Amino acid sequence: MSIFLVLVRKEVKELLTPQLVVSIAAMLFVFHVIGRSVGSHNKASASRNGVVIVDLDRSALSRRLSAALSRAECAVTHSPARDIGPALAAPEHDAESSFMLVPAGLERDLAAGRQSHVAFYSRFRKNASGLGPVMAASRTRKTLSLVSGELSSFVMERRLQGLSPGFVKDPAPAREFAVIGGRVEAVPVSHVVAFVQSQSYFFPMAVFFIIILSAQMIMTAVASEKENKTLETLLSSPIDRRMLVLSKLTASAFIAAVLSGGYMLGMRSFMSGIVGDAAPGAASSSGPALARLGLLITPSGYLMIGLSVLVCILCALAMAFILGLLAEDVKSIQAMMTPLVMVLMLSYLLPIFIDMSAANDGIKLILYAIPFTHAFLAPQNVMMGNGVQVLWGIAYQAAVFAAFVALAARLFSGEALLTLRLRFPKVR
Amino acid sequence: MNALEARDLVKRYKDFEAVSGLTFDVKEGEIFALVGPNGVGKSTTLKMIATLLAPTAGSVSVFGCDVVKEACRVRELISYLPEEAGAYKNLTGREYLRFMALVFLKDGPKAEAAVVRGEDLCGLADKLKDKIKTYSKGMTRKLLIARAVMIAPRLAILDEPTSGLDIVNGYEVRKTIKRLAGEGTTFLISSHNMGEIEFLSGRIGVMNNGRMLACDTPAALKRRFSTDDLEEVFIRLTQ
Repeated sequence: MSIFLVLVRKEVKELLTPQLVVSIAAMLFVFHVIGRSVGSHNKASASRNGVVIVDLDRSALSRRLSAALSRAECAVTHSPARDIGPALAAPEHDAESSFMLVPAGLERDLAAGRQSHVAFYSRFRKNASGLGPVMAASRTRKTLSLVSGELSSFVMERRLQGLSPGFVKDPAPAREFAVIGGRVEAVPVSHVVAFVQSQSYFFPMAVFFIIILSAQMIMTAVASEKENKTLETLLSSPIDRRMLVLSKLTASAFIAAVLSGGYMLGMRSFMSGIVGDAAPGAASSSGPALARLGLLITPSGYLMIGLSVLVCILCALAMAFILGLLAEDVKSIQAMMTPLVMVLMLSYLLPIFIDMSAANDGIKLILYAIPFTHAFLAPQNVMMGNGVQVLWGIAYQAAVFAAFVALAARLFSGEALLTLRLRFPKVR
Repeated sequence: MNALEARDLVKRYKDFEAVSGLTFDVKEGEIFALVGPNGVGKSTTLKMIATLLAPTAGSVSVFGCDVVKEACRVRELISYLPEEAGAYKNLTGREYLRFMALVFLKDGPKAEAAVVRGEDLCGLADKLKDKIKTYSKGMTRKLLIARAVMIAPRLAILDEPTSGLDIVNGYEVRKTIKRLAGEGTTFLISSHNMGEIEFLSGRIGVMNNGRMLACDTPAALKRRFSTDDLEEVFIRLTQ
């Protein structure tokens, strides 16, 4: 065997440890769970394609629109309401998110070659997340295009003279409205979705990296203290061991607070970039409407998000602290991070793809049991006016943090700290 | 009063017994050495005395204080130096001594006095201003030994105190230990260096398989085995 192959073989043997294999297997498992959950959720979500029609025209044309939507496998419900307000408030339509208002005189106006308007209302739920709003927006676009095509056909069938091509192509331009928590604003649904989605991707990603960074930091600190035997020296000192735990966590909490502060500054800058006057793009042109919908985060909202992120990082630090205590040495930290990274990935990725307002109870239970999920969802919940859920999340995260601190203190007060090791069986 | 009394000391882990019924005393001001092959329970014994591990059976008392029931009081009387211990690499030597003095003595003026003593004991002079990560193994060990004894503990427990030190530094450390013992500090040390043991110790405890095989002065042990060589005593006892 050539010396090169001997060297390669030795390197592979050094790198391919049981810890690494377990880490990879765990990651595969997490991705499999996420894939399965998202797949079944999306199937269920796709079957909820429906629209509530508030028909003020009650004409052959409005019935034709309804039939066209039904043919396109859209579940059409007719509301007896005489305006959009009562239809949105009606308890029987509580689960519906798409509404179409057909104005009185639509058929008469189009038949006379006069322009009219059809209004579309998209309702966003308080705890909507992930692809739910995107799919709702996509359904609205599909409905809008189908209605526009049908109305265009109606006009063309009349063979009226002297009409502009623009009118024939789109005789009743759609007016889009977004409905959030009872507030109704004229704003394209795609702009609302783009704005809300930015929170689903950007902010959780930032929190994700902060958690990984701070967890790795404290785990390395604890494991290296153990490896260098500086911990044994400290433990043999007359200092109260609970104080040792608290001092480590306080120092880490300070760093976590700095990281959260940085996170909040980044978020503020990101938000002002989106809605500020100087910011280009479609979303910024809708800034005032987004603000009136309550999507702009107030100082108290920032405080809640910051608090949620801070307690989330503290939870991660307390868990990482215990995992660090179980680590044999600094080298084994990668493997010790696996359980933390697994739950982090679940709580980060699943809400991106799954609409929490429509998810089944099992998925909800798992996700809300993971303390990190509450921080990932905090910006969206604050924007959607779901502050109570954020506060409950903070309380839950604080309870989890307290439980892990108590466990860490217990580990510190006994000899388990020096004797406990999480070892993988040796592969022969 | 004895500085240390160990009675029928046992430490059992899930699948093996590291220490099996160890009994010995250390007198105040004495340098007592625990010797034995690797893995016979010396470090485990020292850790039990240093309150880091709890005995499975038996008892240990330090100046009359039980290491389990009065662990906090015992920690005020001892100073423990683990084998191959490290220091905080991003601190300077002086910062490390100051931090440890405050942790062990919990009193500013006393800690400052201990730091002055520690600076003198380690002999690192201007190097104390440098970060520990720049130190050689020998320099770090000297700093750690100074840390262990600068607080003037009543019982200093040193696991392999001169391991990794060159001849000159090892000699200096041995002289320091001897001097401090003369000033009243009791030492319990573990070592593989028979020359060092013979130079330092008043009495030696020879361990094997978690048991005490013999416990006496170097001279008495040599007489017992009719030899001038302490290493030969060790080999005949442990094989």
